[in-house]
Amino acid sequence: MRKLIPLAIILITIFALAYYITPKITPQTDVRPLGEFYLENSYFGDYSAKSPEVVTSILWDYRGVDTLFETSVFFLAIIGSLTLFRLNKKQEKKAKQKPEEFSGGLTLVIKSVTKIIVAMILAVSASIALHGHLTPGGGFQGGSALAVAPLLIIAAYSKYALEEHGLDKTRALILRSIGLLGIVLVALVPLLSGGFIMQNQPVFPAEVGGQLVSGSLIYYNLFEFLAVGAGFTAVFLLLAIPEKVFKKFLRRVENE
Amino acid sequence: MSDVITFIWAVIILTLLATIVISLYGIARRPNLVKKLIALTIFGDTANLIVVLLGYRLIYPVAPPILPSLSKEALKQFVSTAVDPLPQALVITAVVIGMAVNVLIAFAIIQIHRLYGTVDARELGKKLPAILRGDEQ
Repeated sequence: MRKLIPLAIILITIFALAYYITPKITPQTDVRPLGEFYLENSYFGDYSAKSPEVVTSILWDYRGVDTLFETSVFFLAIIGSLTLFRLNKKQEKKAKQKPEEFSGGLTLVIKSVTKIIVAMILAVSASIALHGHLTPGGGFQGGSALAVAPLLIIAAYSKYALEEHGLDKTRALILRSIGLLGIVLVALVPLLSGGFIMQNQPVFPAEVGGQLVSGSLIYYNLFEFLAVGAGFTAVFLLLAIPEKVFKKFLRRVENE
Repeated sequence: MSDVITFIWAVIILTLLATIVISLYGIARRPNLVKKLIALTIFGDTANLIVVLLGYRLIYPVAPPILPSLSKEALKQFVSTAVDPLPQALVITAVVIGMAVNVLIAFAIIQIHRLYGTVDARELGKKLPAILRGDEQ
């Protein structure tokens, strides 16, 4: 009961304040001129990105350099996490060994459902990322959705199941580096033909085989999809190392 | 009718501001590092929501910033109904980077728990080495 009193005070304050300021504010019904410029130019117009999805065209064309540097912040955050949990080669090999009392994950029902859902997640995340220039979505959202698939496998089977099938931390890091390298290369390609960094039109073809690909947007989305998905996968693989094993590593370092 | 809508609009904005104040209280006053992290994620998400709200339009009908058809006739209708795309583009990157930074902080908290056996900020202050506390050696 005593916990409800501050809640009631907050609620009453909010409603009273809202009642007080309602006549004084004018609700926003117009788009700002800059937003209107983007809405008008994203597909038609002189400064077109040839994409009907205005958010993606801002993300990777109009304000592309912003996104490039935000990607580097993401890169640094993942590198920082990996550095905090760093292991040497011997320890890495040990972390991959199954413990003797390993039970084999959750029950058969959950494992079968996980198999179906993982396939669906992979398809949906690829669809989100590769249709990012046409529908809501893009590399960031698709990559985040992709990272859920290894997380589900880790929960239902174990991290050893992932590693036995070839997706270990090193491979995830390689995939992530390919993604980041791809983004940088696609950003630098316009320089070769006399454009500026991250230029989209008219350096890249807007349509390939009759399909609208919106120039460079689809390549950026694809590479960002790889970078985000594989980056989070590497982090999840490190998080899945059992606490017991990790404590053993730490104790050994202390003794040395 | 429009007064009611304006009132709800004001309530939403004030609720978000109150959420920010409560999460700041959580960051500053909770001694548990995990609870601090939870309050920090609430703070970040509320800030993102406010930025998205900046680009919203109080009209009916209101449309997402995606061209419904690739014809010039639909463009005028589209511009008059679509919300501002710029805040959404800024928030998309902020969300994913916020997640990566949260992962980094969570890793640091896990490592602190492994090394010191506690995530309580008061206990940690006693257990940290003297050089980190700034004492004279």
